[in-house]
Amino acid sequence: MSEQTPSVREVNENQCQICMPLGSVIAIKGIEHSMVVVHGSQGCSTYMRLAMVEHYNEPVDIASSSLNEKQTIYGGEENLRKGLDNVIRVYHPKVIGVVTTCMTETMGEDIGRMIDTYLTDRNLHDVDIIPVSTPSYSGTSTEGYWTAVRDIIRYYGNPSPPHEGINIILPQVSPADIREIKRILDLMRIQYTLIPDISMTLDRPYGILYEKIPPGGTSREDITRMSGARATIQFGYCCPDNLSPGAFLEEKFGVPLHNLPLPVGLKNMDRFINTLISIAVKPVSESILLERGWLCDAMADAHKHMAEIRPVIYGEPELVYAISSLCVENGSIPPIIATGTGSPQFHRHLESLIRDLDFVPLVAEHVDFALIAKESDHLGVNLAIGHTGGKVLTERQNIPVVRTGFPIHDRIGAQRIRNLGYIGTVTLLEQIVNTYLEHKYQHYRQRIKSEYFDNGGKINA
Amino acid sequence: MAINQEVLDEMLLPYPDKVKKNRTKHIVRKNPEEGCQQIEANTRTVPGIISQRGCCYAGCKGVVIGPIKDMITITHGPVGCAYYSWGTRRNKARADDITPPEHIYGAMCFVTDMQEPDIVFGGEKKLAKMIDEVVEMFHPRAINVCATCPIGLIGDDLGAVTKKASEKHGIPVLAYNCEGYKGVSQSAGHHIANNVLMENVIGSGDAEKNPSEFVVNLLGEYNIGGDSWEIERILNDIGYRVQGVLTGDSSVEEMKNMHIANLNLVMCHRSINYIAEMMEEKYGIPWLKINFIGVEAIKKSLRDIAQVTGDETFIRKTEEVIAREEARVLPVIEHFRKICTGKTAFAFVGGSRSHHYQYLLRDLGMEVVVAGYEFAHRDDYEGRQVIPTIKTDADSKNIPELDIKPDPELYKEAHEHLNITKEKFDEICSRVPLGNYEGMYPDMNGGTLMIDDCNHYEAEQLVKDLKPDLFFAGVRDKYIAQKMGVPAKQLHSYDYSGPYAGFNGAMNFARDVANAMTTPAWKFITPPWEKESENTGDTNA
Repeated sequence: MSEQTPSVREVNENQCQICMPLGSVIAIKGIEHSMVVVHGSQGCSTYMRLAMVEHYNEPVDIASSSLNEKQTIYGGEENLRKGLDNVIRVYHPKVIGVVTTCMTETMGEDIGRMIDTYLTDRNLHDVDIIPVSTPSYSGTSTEGYWTAVRDIIRYYGNPSPPHEGINIILPQVSPADIREIKRILDLMRIQYTLIPDISMTLDRPYGILYEKIPPGGTSREDITRMSGARATIQFGYCCPDNLSPGAFLEEKFGVPLHNLPLPVGLKNMDRFINTLISIAVKPVSESILLERGWLCDAMADAHKHMAEIRPVIYGEPELVYAISSLCVENGSIPPIIATGTGSPQFHRHLESLIRDLDFVPLVAEHVDFALIAKESDHLGVNLAIGHTGGKVLTERQNIPVVRTGFPIHDRIGAQRIRNLGYIGTVTLLEQIVNTYLEHKYQHYRQRIKSEYFDNGGKINA
Repeated sequence: MAINQEVLDEMLLPYPDKVKKNRTKHIVRKNPEEGCQQIEANTRTVPGIISQRGCCYAGCKGVVIGPIKDMITITHGPVGCAYYSWGTRRNKARADDITPPEHIYGAMCFVTDMQEPDIVFGGEKKLAKMIDEVVEMFHPRAINVCATCPIGLIGDDLGAVTKKASEKHGIPVLAYNCEGYKGVSQSAGHHIANNVLMENVIGSGDAEKNPSEFVVNLLGEYNIGGDSWEIERILNDIGYRVQGVLTGDSSVEEMKNMHIANLNLVMCHRSINYIAEMMEEKYGIPWLKINFIGVEAIKKSLRDIAQVTGDETFIRKTEEVIAREEARVLPVIEHFRKICTGKTAFAFVGGSRSHHYQYLLRDLGMEVVVAGYEFAHRDDYEGRQVIPTIKTDADSKNIPELDIKPDPELYKEAHEHLNITKEKFDEICSRVPLGNYEGMYPDMNGGTLMIDDCNHYEAEQLVKDLKPDLFFAGVRDKYIAQKMGVPAKQLHSYDYSGPYAGFNGAMNFARDVANAMTTPAWKFITPPWEKESENTGDTNA
């Protein structure tokens, strides 16, 4: 494996990561009847709403404790209490996640204590208030996301009677992806608790009555029962151990953990189905077999193009790993695999994925787009796969971007992108190939003409 | 359309008493009998009620500083704030003779990406090193450094770091102490940005004025979707030269010499009135509030400007341009006007647009029934005459007021800047509102609503109760309206469209608004099997 990115530069130019509280907010939005209060300056909640609304194209309600200069001196407890009062009055949530910001973490606000005092003073029993500490100088949205999922599960983590169901713990994927996972589990007739479930809360269909807190999400009751599940499947292959919700359930309650890569690509999806079969001792459903067949067919169609594609894959670690695996199994070697964050797990798994390839990709953690752009030039990248941030590659280097992941602010339909499962993989694979083909044939005739006639047959291989 | 009290009572019902009392003061139902009614504005947001307001940093970096194309703006802090303010306002910039393409950094995002050790041990060294690297890599003409919340808390001395860097590299490196918690909204950030630009940039150039030109600056115009290009086109056609725009498609090179202007034109009063006033105090340059949104508003603005020049050529040329442009755009607008006439709209935008767009909507025969600003002050609602009566609270006191003195060499009386006699100037002042802004109130109809810092919940209630035909706001509240079947248009960044300013902009806007209301999609929401009146089959078959 190539050296990790040297971090001699202080400049973060065109960043490839977003701040920690945002990840937590997205996770909390996957809990039923939940609201979020961001403890900090109101700009944080406004900015996070902006980032989420532009991506999901949905109303996203995030409250703020709206701290001003005065509270930086006297502390923000009074504002937090007022904020909680008002959120409860107007929204009637059953769960409130309180996330911190770099401001309140720097101030040293002890939100756990504040919430305890608040609940006692108000004598509240029907609303759960869960503190999540997200100092954005200590991680990115990925770490924020896992922190919130772990803290929510821990909050409801009491022993419960054993049952047949399994736990499914997801990294940040699209609402449509979650619906696909549920469909597969239903086809396999498996009982499950899936967390966090943003499939409705951040993608509510038109026609149902508009409510302030959207329907859907993982219920409190289901989370409580997670400790009695038969097993946990967590798509947290690159999740650091100390943040792993599945590891918590295993250590605390002995729920066996199967930590898997996201089911993008044939190999990863097979592994998921195989794990389901072994846990539930059930045969694989006929229709899933058909879908697998369609993917194999699509791979056969794609293979002659995939070898020409030299993609840069960037974004959130779980998706980056899974898409890299998809490319590799289809004969496309990504010259650059990059994430704005990083973890030992990400590093280790990618190392084993790329060990035997014809050429060794650059695996870069904690990168910005300045580095991605530079290396893309250098390594002959001809396609990018990732979020909106990659548009700089198109603007400056004419590299087309297949958009997936978070955030997607310059196209519609981010909430409906489906890349998981055999069928989701077919969609992604075809999109990769077709985006490449469209680009290739824009100048194909001219390129061949110049190579074979003007250049005297000297092809730039 | 008059709004009755029950709608408001119902909306305020779920609030605790204190919140209800607070919010009531921010809501005014216009009663023309009453003279100007007072509205509360620019006060603290109620925690937990989801405001559409942003923070001080957003106003400084996101609004005022961000669009300056040839300055590199470094956000000093952890990674979030820089990310969120990266390119979201669609400020367009272009290369020209003054600013070659390699000096344009508008599409880029720079952040010190502070980590835990930087918070514990301070981020000054990291910032200093980053400035060095940025200079080495890009050779910018000037650099801005914007603070985020933790900076003020850990006590990094931005002023000291930037001063040292400025001496080391021989370019301006400007510090903005715009921590997000300052003030009550973006507005504080506007003020801070205005102060820094006034102190360090404006007037620092050595250009000489060409006496044969009439030079204007366009203040508070951010070139969203190309707005300022359209405005400049019109001004240039009449014969004015635009020296500097604050800050759409602006360059520090042009801004340095803004003091040679004859007249300042103020588009967004809220975000830039500070500079307009300070330039008046320092150089004596008069300012005029203008509005290039809506055909009638543009005509009035152009005629006001021409009157102020006191020059018959400009007055004649103005009429020629108006006649030429109207002949071209009015037939198009008339086509869309047929679709729009009689429709109602809400407008909840920043600090000026909710007023400006009322003119354009009126051109289309539409009425704004509820209007509000996110972060405006009382004068933006009620007019500048109320400024002396506004009490300064602790939040406003935290933003420094610069002590501006007339420049000993460059200060001239307003009439001298305009090359007219004092008598003529006084006479013009009686007709043209120089140095004044009347606010939104006079343009609202009786019975309609002005609502300050309208929050997410209130917007939802009002849409539900009043069912406007169109909802103009930002992207954050746009989807609540759409979920309730009301088409929504983003007026901060125009939903990827624009320009909307100027004559061409009015056509674009008319087309977009008509399309939003007439798209067939809205009709198909109810399925045929739920429509009782619909004939489901041919019974005679």
